[in-house]
Amino acid sequence: MTSVPALSLRGLTKRYDGGLLALDGFDLEIGDGEFFGLLGPNGAGKTTLISAVCNLIRITAGEIDIFGRPHQDPEARRMMGLAEQDVNLDRFLDVEETLVYHGGYYGMSRPHAVRRAREMMDVFDLRAKAGVRAPSLSGGMRRRLLLARALMHEPRLVILDEPTAGVDFELRLELWRYIRRLHEQGTTILLTTHYLEEAEELCQDVALIRGGRLLARDSPTGLLESFEADSLADVYVKAMAAAA
Amino acid sequence: MSAADAVPERGATAPPGLAVRRRGLVSLAGREILRVLKLWTQTIAAPVVASFLFILVFGLSLSGRIRHVDGFDYRAFIVPGLITMAMVQAAYTNNSSSVFQSRFDRYLNDVLASPMRNWEINLGLSLGGVVRALLIGVALLLLALPITHVPINQPLVLLLGVALGLTLFASLGVVIGIYAKTWDHAGFVQNIVIVPLSFLGGVFYSVSTLPSPWREVSHANPIFYLVQSVRYGFLGTSDVPVGIALGITAALASVTVAWSAWLFHSGHKLKP
Repeated sequence: MTSVPALSLRGLTKRYDGGLLALDGFDLEIGDGEFFGLLGPNGAGKTTLISAVCNLIRITAGEIDIFGRPHQDPEARRMMGLAEQDVNLDRFLDVEETLVYHGGYYGMSRPHAVRRAREMMDVFDLRAKAGVRAPSLSGGMRRRLLLARALMHEPRLVILDEPTAGVDFELRLELWRYIRRLHEQGTTILLTTHYLEEAEELCQDVALIRGGRLLARDSPTGLLESFEADSLADVYVKAMAAAA
Repeated sequence: MSAADAVPERGATAPPGLAVRRRGLVSLAGREILRVLKLWTQTIAAPVVASFLFILVFGLSLSGRIRHVDGFDYRAFIVPGLITMAMVQAAYTNNSSSVFQSRFDRYLNDVLASPMRNWEINLGLSLGGVVRALLIGVALLLLALPITHVPINQPLVLLLGVALGLTLFASLGVVIGIYAKTWDHAGFVQNIVIVPLSFLGGVFYSVSTLPSPWREVSHANPIFYLVQSVRYGFLGTSDVPVGIALGITAALASVTVAWSAWLFHSGHKLKP
């Protein structure tokens, strides 16, 4: 662990071309090794925030640092791994190629990428599907592949945008196990989810956002105390009602 | 093996450097070329067969009526233009469809989020079309040589003309792939602009034989200059001085390269 935050956002603002203000002067700091949850309704700005951090949208104003480096710095990008909410796999590549080419994009040598891809296929039970193209995989297998791809280049900060959306309960528990072990080994995790029990189960710190603004941030226990609530669901309802 | 093995060890990531950064470019170009090879019946075989049929049908059927053009057998005369037409269409189509597909399916995000520089992403995405066009060009030449005996009188001019033409149309393909909102948009430029201009660019005839004003109008066709550059490389003759043909093609290539570079630099249309 280092004293440098894994992720630091200062005054992050994003206004889309149509005029929608998705993030409004957003400040946030996530420490190295933290497991951080971002909660909010649809349209709260969660995916916009993640897209800004990962260089997928043009920000309107503000600064983003990854382990002390500007987010557009190639070294900062090398330290991040992203599993997006939507399944965005290359339809022309099979499972092994998806991982190996991704490793190449992040500067891994071919032998290193092949070795690492085989490790990841074993970890995520994808070895039997190594030669299968993404469109032919089941929904669960695609989710595993997305996660394997995000971890392929050994990032220090892993961003998971609703990784368990639409998956069955069994696979959700399995993914929770993967993610928890990843965190135990020192990887910083930024997780967005609609499942409050998921945030309560996994996250050390939780932020509630709505309308592109931060409403509250604390540990799940701290939020329960400050909102005088019995569950994170109660906290969520109270926070959103207060912000509406 | 357990999930814990997927966890990064601190310092395990390769140190940054020139060689490491180039691996991204090599990997992305490799992915684009792999796509071309996986779909070889569509990307290579189909255009080679179509263009070779032009050489056979037009060359053999018309060569009885049109003996010589600019001192060359008609069968040999049409080969440079047909190879040029097949190559530029392949370079454009490949890149526009590959870039559009990657945006449509959003797997381009995997590349945009990576440590690759903007110019590396641009170049990597362009090279698939270049390789596809070169494979088509070489295959057509090998098929055409035994039946047309087309010479290569100016190999350096030929190389330069092909390089400029592929740069122009590979970049144009990337640009249109970025702007396109539907498959129809990408196809529109191919079907309504590139194909008609190719046919009217002196592929099958010498523009100097056209009556006025069609001769002058042909000089406004950008593909005319590319065809002339390549034809000079093969036959050593062209309808305009080869320096002008190469210069205009280079100027057009500069515009499309600058356009695609700006799109990647600014994120315009690529990033909301």
